[in-house]
Amino acid sequence: MTTNAHVEKKRLENPPATIKFKIQRREKEGAAAHWETFEIPYRRNLNVISALMDIRKNPVTIEGKATTPPVWDMSCLEQVCGICTMVIDGRVRQSCSALVDDLLLASGGDTVSLAPMSKFPNVRDLKVDRSKMFEHLKKVEAWIELDGSYDLGPGPAISNETAQERYALSRCMTCGCCLEACPQYGDDNYIGPQAIGQARLFNMHPVGKTTIDNRLNGLLDDDGIGNCGNAQNCVQVCPMSVPLTKAIYETNRDITVNALFGWLKK
Amino acid sequence: MAIKFSNTFLLRKLHQITGIVPLGIFFFVHMFTNSKAMNGAANFDKAVKEIHDIPYLLLIEIFGIFLPLLFHSVYGVLISSEAKPNVLNYGYGRNWFYMLQRATGIFLFLFILFHLLNLRFGLIPGLTEVAVAGNADKAFSIVASDFQKTWVLIVYILGVVATAWHLAYGFFLFAVDWGIVIGEKAQKMTLAGCAALAVLLSVVGINAAFAFRSPCGLMPKALCEAPAAPAKAAPAGPTKF
Repeated sequence: MTTNAHVEKKRLENPPATIKFKIQRREKEGAAAHWETFEIPYRRNLNVISALMDIRKNPVTIEGKATTPPVWDMSCLEQVCGICTMVIDGRVRQSCSALVDDLLLASGGDTVSLAPMSKFPNVRDLKVDRSKMFEHLKKVEAWIELDGSYDLGPGPAISNETAQERYALSRCMTCGCCLEACPQYGDDNYIGPQAIGQARLFNMHPVGKTTIDNRLNGLLDDDGIGNCGNAQNCVQVCPMSVPLTKAIYETNRDITVNALFGWLKK
Repeated sequence: MAIKFSNTFLLRKLHQITGIVPLGIFFFVHMFTNSKAMNGAANFDKAVKEIHDIPYLLLIEIFGIFLPLLFHSVYGVLISSEAKPNVLNYGYGRNWFYMLQRATGIFLFLFILFHLLNLRFGLIPGLTEVAVAGNADKAFSIVASDFQKTWVLIVYILGVVATAWHLAYGFFLFAVDWGIVIGEKAQKMTLAGCAALAVLLSVVGINAAFAFRSPCGLMPKALCEAPAAPAKAAPAGPTKF
């Protein structure tokens, strides 16, 4: 498993003198969206964020109209925080690790389109409100009860296999790529792969296992795991290679064994 | 803490089960029966007669076929209406399969309606007015006369291929949705098996359709019985099983 960052990059041999950025603008939540195109000089090794910073210095559209500087979120700039996620040339990904050379090589043109993720409330321009994902984590109780009135002592040992799978699940940075690319997610009718992956992470923990019913209950609501359509886009677009479909199907097995056929144990 | 199921979850599970158990089994039997047309009109008519003689036939038809079919198709259309397909931006194989499952589902909703009105009830204007149901002695000739029309044959071939894929991929979906198949390698193997099943069911179904136009359909004649010469028919020949 490799993340995008580890892939050897191809060089753009004959770069254009200038590149265009077509950016979806929205003044505030609820306002109508429109597109504006900006042109900046080409530089080697530009990523989308450095291009946006260039645009911000002189926010004049290609038609010569002065406008407001585009707004976007960014923090770590190394694809581990997930906050700069946006839809770039139609595909959801982090803008910090989206190199302009690669985008131009892939599209064969000189224009890059930027839009905010469509499945979250659009606060302004490229900035979205992703707090829904935190609500989902609370719903599936994505934590382990450790604090008590007495010392619980050390937990049971975890097998290497389990530890590795849990590590892979723990890489989730709550960026929202899986939800944006999911054809089932939207309109609050599906909790989505992100929360299911985290529920699985804590269900696999020996102490977390003791409250597995709470997490499964969070996934058995009307917006629960049953709404997964198995398009599997989540695992394809995940920048951290979180084994999301495996987590969904393992949780399906937990539900089949513990919940659907649980009454056969009585 | 006790487990609580939501209605949506239970309906999804019921949708998956009805697709596999009553409807999947029914499709296998249906293709098997159709294939009897390869061995001639008398053979097919006899097969239809045998179905008519099944005890509790009406109850099996209502509770084993009609109600599961009604639920599976209506709820399936509802599920499809919730989809937000995005294959143009995310053109992964499984994403196409996701869309194809919904597309074949909606096509089959219309096709099965047509098929029932056409052959089960004989109500499609311009086609047979005699239903196959209740007329076992005329079953082959009813179907054969409709299948002489090329457009009817094409519609039925599309119906068979769509059903074969929808069912075979449905097995894959069932396997992952019930947590039977989990890992990526197991998924790949299951998918390959399902694709093979889809091809097999399509070939059998298409050949059975052609068998109503020429004996043995498109298969080599050596696979089928030689059609009995009309002059020295049944009485002298040994009983066939």
